[in-house]
Amino acid sequence: MPTIDIKKRDLDSLIGRKLSVPVLEKHLMLAKAELKEYNAETGDLKIELSDSNRPDLWSAEGIARQVRIALAGKAEVYPFFKHGRKPAREIRVDMGLKTVRPYIAACTASGIRMNEDVLAQMIQSQEKLADIFGRKRSTVSIGIYELDPITFPVEYRLAEPSSVSFTPLGMEEKLNLAEILERHPKGIAYGGIVKPFPAYPVLTDGMGRALSFPPIINSREIGEVKSQTRNVLVEVTGTDMRMTILTLNILATNFYDRGADIEPVLVVYPYETEFGKRVGFPYDTSRKVTVSLSKFSSGLGEDVTLGDVKKRLSAYGHKVSAGRGGLSVVFPPYRDDIMHTVDLVEDYAISRGYDSFEAVMPRESTVGVLSSIEILSDTVRDSMVGAGFQEIMSNILCSREELEDALQGGERLVEVDNPLSLAYSVLRNCVLPSLLNVEAASSKAFYPHRVFEVGEVAVFDTAQNMGSRTDLNLAALVSHPAANFSETHSYFDVLLYYLGVDYGLEPAEHHLFTPGRCGMVVSHGVVLGFIGEVRPEALDRRQITMPCAAFEINLNKLLHLLEIK
Amino acid sequence: MLPSEETKLLESLHPLETKVLQCFSRGETLSAADIMNASGLDESRLDMAAGWLQSKGLFEVRDESVTSFVTLTETGQEYHKAGTPENRIIKALKEGKQFTVKDIIQTWGMDPSEVSSATGALKTSNVITIGKGGVLHLNEAADTKPYDALQQVIDETAGASVALSLPSLPAGKQELIQANFHKRGKSKGIFRITEKKNRVFSLTAEGKELLRLLEERGAAAEEASILTPEMLKQGTWKDKKFRAYNIALNPPRQSIGRKHPYRIFLDFVKYKFIGMGFEEMRGPLVENEFWDMDALFMPQFHPARNIHDVYFVKEPAASKKIEEPFGKRVAAAHRDGGETGSSGWRYAFDIERAKRLILRSQGTAVSARTLAIGPKIPGKYFSIARCFRYDAVDATHAPDFYQVEGIVLGEDINFTTLLGLLKLFGQEIAKATEFQFRPAYFPFTEPSVELHVKHPELGWMELGGAGLFRPEVTVPLGVDVPVIAWGLGLDRMAMVALGIQDIRDLFSRDLDFIRTKKIQLG
Repeated sequence: MPTIDIKKRDLDSLIGRKLSVPVLEKHLMLAKAELKEYNAETGDLKIELSDSNRPDLWSAEGIARQVRIALAGKAEVYPFFKHGRKPAREIRVDMGLKTVRPYIAACTASGIRMNEDVLAQMIQSQEKLADIFGRKRSTVSIGIYELDPITFPVEYRLAEPSSVSFTPLGMEEKLNLAEILERHPKGIAYGGIVKPFPAYPVLTDGMGRALSFPPIINSREIGEVKSQTRNVLVEVTGTDMRMTILTLNILATNFYDRGADIEPVLVVYPYETEFGKRVGFPYDTSRKVTVSLSKFSSGLGEDVTLGDVKKRLSAYGHKVSAGRGGLSVVFPPYRDDIMHTVDLVEDYAISRGYDSFEAVMPRESTVGVLSSIEILSDTVRDSMVGAGFQEIMSNILCSREELEDALQGGERLVEVDNPLSLAYSVLRNCVLPSLLNVEAASSKAFYPHRVFEVGEVAVFDTAQNMGSRTDLNLAALVSHPAANFSETHSYFDVLLYYLGVDYGLEPAEHHLFTPGRCGMVVSHGVVLGFIGEVRPEALDRRQITMPCAAFEINLNKLLHLLEIK
Repeated sequence: MLPSEETKLLESLHPLETKVLQCFSRGETLSAADIMNASGLDESRLDMAAGWLQSKGLFEVRDESVTSFVTLTETGQEYHKAGTPENRIIKALKEGKQFTVKDIIQTWGMDPSEVSSATGALKTSNVITIGKGGVLHLNEAADTKPYDALQQVIDETAGASVALSLPSLPAGKQELIQANFHKRGKSKGIFRITEKKNRVFSLTAEGKELLRLLEERGAAAEEASILTPEMLKQGTWKDKKFRAYNIALNPPRQSIGRKHPYRIFLDFVKYKFIGMGFEEMRGPLVENEFWDMDALFMPQFHPARNIHDVYFVKEPAASKKIEEPFGKRVAAAHRDGGETGSSGWRYAFDIERAKRLILRSQGTAVSARTLAIGPKIPGKYFSIARCFRYDAVDATHAPDFYQVEGIVLGEDINFTTLLGLLKLFGQEIAKATEFQFRPAYFPFTEPSVELHVKHPELGWMELGGAGLFRPEVTVPLGVDVPVIAWGLGLDRMAMVALGIQDIRDLFSRDLDFIRTKKIQLG
């Protein structure tokens, strides 16, 4: 989730009050934000935002707004969303974009009192919105230009990669679109979004001059924003219309909070959209939601009054009117995260403050129960500890190499398709190799070694819906100069005696055990596992120089036997 | 030293110590090899005894000098078994056998050069003469003593359990060894002289005094070190005096059967939940995206769902099916809210994507499955589930780790009982006395809350996250009462209880580390 940098003085000026840091920290809870760092000398704040669904909060303007509304106790009005008159400026969309990057929304902001804080916030919101909310610019990207040099109407069209050239921001020479993708850092980073298409999106002004190559880079020849810029054109392009609109609404609101005049831009689509063919932006998409008061009372576990709910929701930015049987709520145009009445219940609780609620213990009584496999696991662990074994816990995600010589004929492993490292690329299907890892790392620990682990394993099994099943296995390993089959068998035997399971051993082949010194544990026709002396090859492979004997059994199979008995 | 102290000391001597002390009747300073040869102790027992004697101030390590040690070469070993060539010839002649040099080479299987140098030497020392036809004769006045002496040194060297130190041997023997070490134009030497570091010990004044007392007492008093069944059966224990032990010594180490310290912590948590009326849930390590994410109303475009956040399974890459009616209902909830009263995420839900297999990324998947199979109402559930996160492994990121999470359902579940439950967790599990509830965000709960508690040792810490499951989660899974979903982050507490800084040490492979780690549960 985003972490943003803000100057304390900038935040104070946007809130309209100088807040002490502890007071600010408390108010940050309104924005589900947490102060991560504060440098008292420079006034630099580092703030982490946890709500991935509230991109309006990812800037100084957004956080300040939430706090300002709470302090004032009422929602703010953004009049520019009501633009009945025909917008003065126009963007015309080319038919070809329908399948490439179909949506664009734009407006202008004039009279910005630009300074370095404003410029820094403008750049930061642009980055966070496009990168996180816009999924690395694939669904939404943003362009901001100095307004005055641009001639309208602007055209949003497709161009052959070599047919349009301009000097991109951050470079000195003119490049065509294909060259930008190859050579410009942003082209290299985001080129994948447009590369599947034969022609790329461009914005050109009324004089045919290229303004930008969305979603990659703007031109520096026309419209570059500088520190003395006062009037800007803001455009957002994207593949999802609601997200495109929301992004523009957030940016417009932010500029308005900085004292700018917001003027609408009319976008003319040649194709139908959810909001028509000719849409003026910024566009208020918020709906009116009707909620009954009982939703609040039952969800919160406390009786609340209509007046209080109205007051708290207003102080959180909603337009609320009390009607028959409940409330009508219109949420602000910079938010599009209200999907259900539970979202309004949370807004109420946050606005009022979580600490104003009483913590009440659930009254209904329930019975604590362990699963039968966990009960068996506890029994087995107690027995092994009583027999003098040290319990081990191991990672389940491991390397193929650790398990390779434990694989029996044709056995397969659950393998990761996108491993970060080969060391963690498969799930273990048995526990014994984990114990051998311990032995390999512990030759300096005084002998004898008697260790065991009860642990989960993933067994490849195509008969299962999930392609595998999760079993619980017990493995035990004895290691000292005279470790042998008989000693290990005796521990196993006493364990099964107390569990009340009779079993027999059948001679068996197992890759980890010495031929002729390995037994398959069979009980009532079910193979539970194996006992044996570990093969010298297996020890040598792990550079273990102490004889080892071991056993491993499947506790799920054992449990099944116990349950049918 | 006062006599009583001496007696006490004498009585406390371990048999090993006595053995070592007694060696010093032969000399003032002895090397480790000398003591081992004289006492028959091996090196580890000598070390043990030397350590005890040193701690009692009876014994001191003088220095670690370099000493020459004698061992036999391969040729020497052969001569030890069969005799030196000279001695074999002398022996055969004494037995009255008749033979020539040629016979020796052909029938005795000896090396020609060895034979010629042996016969040459015997001739020179007037032991033999070579007569007509090359037949060897033993001279009447033959002095074979030097040859016997050499044989004796060879046999002694072979018989020593530890390499003999050269300086400890009588001068005559030393000369013989020097002479047969790389000598007389012979290609093969008999002895190998190696230089080894040797510790040299001597007795302190108190040690000498004690040795004197020991010798004085001799075997007069029969000391017993252990009580045997025979002594008890036969009553001979009555005549014995039992040596007093030095009880100040460290005991030998023991490895005992023991639960893993981290597991002890997790068991503590497990039984806390049982005590609070929770039922355990379990789920598979390999999940599909449906139960891990879709059923939890995480949209398929959610940033935490891409290739860089989750481990995908290679083969099979997808589950065979999604259990119905859950698949259809969840798809509808995502698309337009379905029956949940929500507007939904408004996108085209892809059921094939939901089938993709992954390694369980959050324990909440187990809760989702429990909701779908018809939980008890009212009900409380918990799981301690192994989860996998797509992070490079380092001191703060383990490849797999435990998540403690669960659900509580019932008619009386709401925001205030959510806070009450979290407060109970804080009290029971973190012994907290102060609590703070902060607004939080999880895609599957609304309202959502973060629980911060004041831990007695850790101070303020985030203990967990929780919330009321969104109707978009519960309704499609067939649950019509409110449900609390909660998860606790206990690894930090576990690490403090275990006194470790690196999260990877929770699953350490080092047996010494595991055996010695103590855990404080308080």
